[in-house]
Amino acid sequence: MNGPHDMGGMHGMGPIPIEPDEPVFHSEWEAKVFAMSFATFCNFFPVDETRHASERMPPGDYLSSAYYERWLYALELLITEHNLVTPAEIEQRIAELAQGE
Amino acid sequence: MAIETSNECMTVAQAQYLLQNGVDCRSVSDDPPRFQAGDRVRAKVIHPITYTRLPRYVRGKMGTIAKVNGVYVFPDTVGQRLATKPQYVYSVRFAVQELWGPDASPRDCLYIDLFDDHLDAT
Repeated sequence: MNGPHDMGGMHGMGPIPIEPDEPVFHSEWEAKVFAMSFATFCNFFPVDETRHASERMPPGDYLSSAYYERWLYALELLITEHNLVTPAEIEQRIAELAQGE
Repeated sequence: MAIETSNECMTVAQAQYLLQNGVDCRSVSDDPPRFQAGDRVRAKVIHPITYTRLPRYVRGKMGTIAKVNGVYVFPDTVGQRLATKPQYVYSVRFAVQELWGPDASPRDCLYIDLFDDHLDAT
């Protein structure tokens, strides 16, 4: 698809930030998103289906999101599209976690 | 045939293997490669709304086969769970002036891996 991921030749994005000693994950939630996504690779979703899912993020959101925010979007999209989890179940769990804090 | 996934939870051993080795996307073909190093090719002009590994900036552009990389499953159809459609992947060299015009360096080239389905003979 001609999505926001296909950035070759685009202007105005600024330099790529290079972090010296960049950590694998910048915060704990990124590691959790990686683990949840990784657990579904191959067994539930072909890896190219997960790549395409992140490309389907609305372009404005895609360009202003961090790398693992795109992974989370793709995971939520696919687990709901394939009826493994309902959007209502995700919202319910978010509400439970918010109450527990 | 559509691609079925196991929908089984991954074991720790499977996860460790995948983390260390990645997903092996190599495949085999009974057919010889359609192109050889040195052949001139043109990238197709397509605008699928589905997944593709053919970026916009090479579509319609002329390039040269630099290397035959081997046979791999086709992400464009795997991404839709349609078929693995194994096919040759080539390293294709494009002069950057072909991609970006006369203001680009006359000496620079861009190498990109493209699938057989992305290319037309010229």
